Amino acid sequence: MALPGLNLSAATEIAAPVVHEIQKDSEWRFEVAFGSNVEVKLLSGTAEIFGTELAPNQTYTFSGAKAAIYTWHGCRIQVSGTCQVEYTAEETPMVSYANVHFALEKLRRQAAIDGREGPRVMVVGPDNAGKTSLIRTLTGYAAKTGGQPLVVNMDSREGMLGIPGSLTAAAFGTLMDVEEGWGSSPTSGPSPMPVKMPVVYFFGLPSPESNSAMYKSVTTRMALAVTERFSRDVASKETGCFIDTPGILSQGKNNYDILHHIATEFSVNVLLVLGSERLHSDMLRRFDGHRASTDEPISVIKLLKSGGVVDRDEAYMRHMRQTQIREYFFGDNKSTLSPHTQQVDFSQVTIYKIVEPSTILTSLLPGGDEDNDTEPSRGGFHGPPIFEKVEPSLSMQYSILAVTHVAPNSPHEDIRDSSLMGFVYVAEVDEQRKKLRILAPVSGRIPNKALVWGTWPEGFADLVG
Amino acid sequence: MSSGLASDEVAEDYKNSLEDLTLNSRYEISNLTVIAKENTEHAMAISRVLENHIRTAPPNRKLPALYVLDSVVKNVGTPYTLFLGRNLYQTFMNAYTLVDNQIRKKLDEMLKTWKEPVPGSMDTRPVFPVEITRSIENALIKAKTAAVQQQHQQAKAQQEILHRGRSTATPPMHWRNTPTPPQSSTPFALPYGAHASGVRSGNNSNHNNNNNNNNSNGVTPSYGNHKQYPQQYPPTPLSQPGPYQQPTQTPDTLDTLNNDIANLIDVARAEFATNLYDQGVQTRLKALLDLQSILRSQKLPPEQIKLIRDQVAQLSLSSKPTPIPAPPVIKAPEPPQPPAPQPNGQQLGASLQSLFSSNALAELLASTARAQQKPTPPPVQSAFSTPQPQLPFAQPQVAAAPVPPVATENPLVASLRAAGLLPPANVLSTATPPALPLNPAVFPMPPIAPPTIPLMGTPPTQSATPARAALAEIENDVEMTTASLKIPRPKLISTLYEAQPSQCTSCGRRFPTTEEGRNKKARHLDWHFRVNQRLVDVVKRGQNRSWYLDEMEWINYKENDEGLNDTNSNGTAAAGSAEATSAKSKKDLKNQYIAAPSDPALANVSCPICQERFETVWHDGAQEWVWMDAVRVGGRTYHASCFAEATKDGRGGTPARDATPEPVLGKRKAEDGDLNALRARIKKENIP
Repeated sequence: MALPGLNLSAATEIAAPVVHEIQKDSEWRFEVAFGSNVEVKLLSGTAEIFGTELAPNQTYTFSGAKAAIYTWHGCRIQVSGTCQVEYTAEETPMVSYANVHFALEKLRRQAAIDGREGPRVMVVGPDNAGKTSLIRTLTGYAAKTGGQPLVVNMDSREGMLGIPGSLTAAAFGTLMDVEEGWGSSPTSGPSPMPVKMPVVYFFGLPSPESNSAMYKSVTTRMALAVTERFSRDVASKETGCFIDTPGILSQGKNNYDILHHIATEFSVNVLLVLGSERLHSDMLRRFDGHRASTDEPISVIKLLKSGGVVDRDEAYMRHMRQTQIREYFFGDNKSTLSPHTQQVDFSQVTIYKIVEPSTILTSLLPGGDEDNDTEPSRGGFHGPPIFEKVEPSLSMQYSILAVTHVAPNSPHEDIRDSSLMGFVYVAEVDEQRKKLRILAPVSGRIPNKALVWGTWPEGFADLVG
Repeated sequence: MSSGLASDEVAEDYKNSLEDLTLNSRYEISNLTVIAKENTEHAMAISRVLENHIRTAPPNRKLPALYVLDSVVKNVGTPYTLFLGRNLYQTFMNAYTLVDNQIRKKLDEMLKTWKEPVPGSMDTRPVFPVEITRSIENALIKAKTAAVQQQHQQAKAQQEILHRGRSTATPPMHWRNTPTPPQSSTPFALPYGAHASGVRSGNNSNHNNNNNNNNSNGVTPSYGNHKQYPQQYPPTPLSQPGPYQQPTQTPDTLDTLNNDIANLIDVARAEFATNLYDQGVQTRLKALLDLQSILRSQKLPPEQIKLIRDQVAQLSLSSKPTPIPAPPVIKAPEPPQPPAPQPNGQQLGASLQSLFSSNALAELLASTARAQQKPTPPPVQSAFSTPQPQLPFAQPQVAAAPVPPVATENPLVASLRAAGLLPPANVLSTATPPALPLNPAVFPMPPIAPPTIPLMGTPPTQSATPARAALAEIENDVEMTTASLKIPRPKLISTLYEAQPSQCTSCGRRFPTTEEGRNKKARHLDWHFRVNQRLVDVVKRGQNRSWYLDEMEWINYKENDEGLNDTNSNGTAAAGSAEATSAKSKKDLKNQYIAAPSDPALANVSCPICQERFETVWHDGAQEWVWMDAVRVGGRTYHASCFAEATKDGRGGTPARDATPEPVLGKRKAEDGDLNALRARIKKENIP
């Protein structure tokens, strides 16, 4: 702070703030609706949100959040605003989560001595088991211990530093934004939180089962990038990586081969199983005693699901997706971004649509993760076309297009394996005049690259007014 | 700001800019800071203007102006610290007296930061020398407790006599306006005179002299006093309600302590003599005297004595550089002059005199003499060949008896008590003189809060990843088994918290207290600072989401811990035909443009000087997308205006910039090095 005292006036009063006293080793769980704000301030003691410590006397604002503030030492927090749900819980699995961190630290130290990669940790478990929260916690601890883990999000239903539909990897060596999940990807302006630089691939479908071949290919590509990164980035290499998986892969034996594929590609040597006995025994059967490709033994560890994990209904998930998309273009309440709208001729863009191997429309339905046991993976055999080139049409209105890094007429495999430059939004399709109105994050002409149109995330009609 | 301008012009410009500063605008403040930074050769003129402005500005504009001062001294450092430090007391106090309480709070905050090193600086010295901030602080404490002190009826009367309306509680010195020095006429004045000899000599030599002056004057006086103190002690019990020589106390310890305190008292007096504006010193004096009397009247366990002694020893260590300038011998004092008619220089002297005589100590003595039912018989005194009397030390606690509640208790005493060093209040209350507001912070050196002292725990080993190192020291017996994972291990948890005790207050990140941890934290704070500055600037310009990195770029991407190498993140240079940079005026510069690169990778390039992206606009004349105000030089793209600004004196005015004095105190931040490197680079590229 250059100018002392300037912050003093910033204190805003919302409602009468409530002070909560949280005993040591317990957590305060709270849910905040979208559109309402809850401010939390740590008055004394220590507190952390998913492994990231809160600074004393700083105001943290939460909106549309389901989170928990845990304390190892006891703390007092001041809360202003209305939470949908709030209570203090004494029983948490935090001790074992933290112990996992220390066990990983041991592996890391050993790996550093041996000159190997640090542990590659994959977290599996059904939807709403707390996989992402666990990874955030472990990432927070690892960063705090001086590590720089790579976090790989293989769940296209939720975005990390990107929007849903994308698969992302990024190094987290610095403080994470406790208010915003994983934080947001870099902008042209300064960021009050240390910037996290992701590499992003596109899998424009909500579930790997919808197109397991493509999912596996992208997984392979991602693993390649991560492995390559390990070879050039000592800090990340020593720390290893965390891989977040889609819950659906843990819900039905048919998908285990996809899990197996991920584990193999990333040479996973620690498998954390959250909240499902059956899954644990299945995983034990599959992996225990096996060795990763690096010849390290694979540990399969069962962890308890936190009692604080809540089911996120489809309405909430949808809201979250829309929020992520909106924030990608327009920024959050901390920094406003100015995306750029422009008209382009149909002829100026080259759009590929993902060819779906079957008519699994059910899986595209919102929340369709239980009811789509139709036609799982078909052995990875598909006809050659991965994409089909499409003319813009009205059905494309309100969808997201992924901008790849490859030229418009590249081979399909290259398009599939290409990392992304970003996303654009189709605000309007004028079939008569053959014009598109496109919302792009960056001003300037839309890059002359192959654009990919997926069915996920679903259209978002009111993104642009 | 061109470097070729005369100081007057620069000052005039600066003055005008300052006058525009009506609000607390970070942007303007940082702007003014930059101007100050670029014109260090005119630092004196700018400092003067700034001081004048702060003095003359209406109260509601004083705070922003003081923020400018604050920002300048922290971001530029020398020579501004020197120039502004000279009159800082007046500048600050003048403003402080005129603003309302809210602003005062902020001023307090600011003052606090001046006692600490510049955040992010490698230099551990405080922003301003301790003597300067201490004097202000003392004055503030004084002012704040003025109300309490008003219990002395005479105070009011004296206040009127005292110029500048000081709220000092002044004693009823009947000799005040007489030309005859009090020392020789009243018994209790004697000790006073003896101890105050430093003051007097200060008076004689130079009323305006500063501490440096003191330094040059030998140590003799303190020496003399030093030696004499032991002599004083023996008679003391005569007037003491309780003997101080307890069998439990080793005389050695006690003597050292007493000597130290005596020394400190002398030092404080000397300081008082030279910092006339500093009423605070006198409160410190009083506190020291209190301490002394407490020590002598209370029976304290040896370990407490030892603790106090250690603290005092530290104090005296810190104050050694300013020894007392004058010999302890009582010499004929110069007659005190009535304050009012004095010309400036002498007024100081007079004020010294009056202040001095208003010194609470003297007052205390006076009132003691009056209140005391069984004063030390004069014969005892006369028995001593030296005029150095024991009286002052013997009596204060008795004198204090009639006075107020614990609320006004001397904070030093209170803090000692809080620390368990002194017995509870009820025991002491009679020994505590009234309303002696001594903030512990007045002492800069004691272990209260030197910035570098570990706050919790001890640092682990020196290691790149401290937590990991700490972890290595603790037995990590966690196995990857469900059973092992269930056992709580608080010790391991502490590696995430206590092992890294130094926490960033704005984001919560923790650092160990090792040298490296400190450096890291310094850089971290620096990063916060830069980001905050840029956040302010960026509000005006639009910002947008960046395109993601290409796979290969990501693989090769080096995470820079919080933008430590912010300034050189623009590796990729746009190749292209260089656009002529003939345009001279700003308007022309703004109208300069280059075609916006169609390659999106290049479109992400930002100006290496200001770090801002280029704005792509449709240029009607050129019929294409262009970057306005852009110029390509040597394969790099710059904002034309930035480039012109940065290279302005790269061609002709180099000497002026080179003349910029190198920071003596090293207050400039690490960022500066980057900037200079950048500048150098630009210059090089610029020379055909």
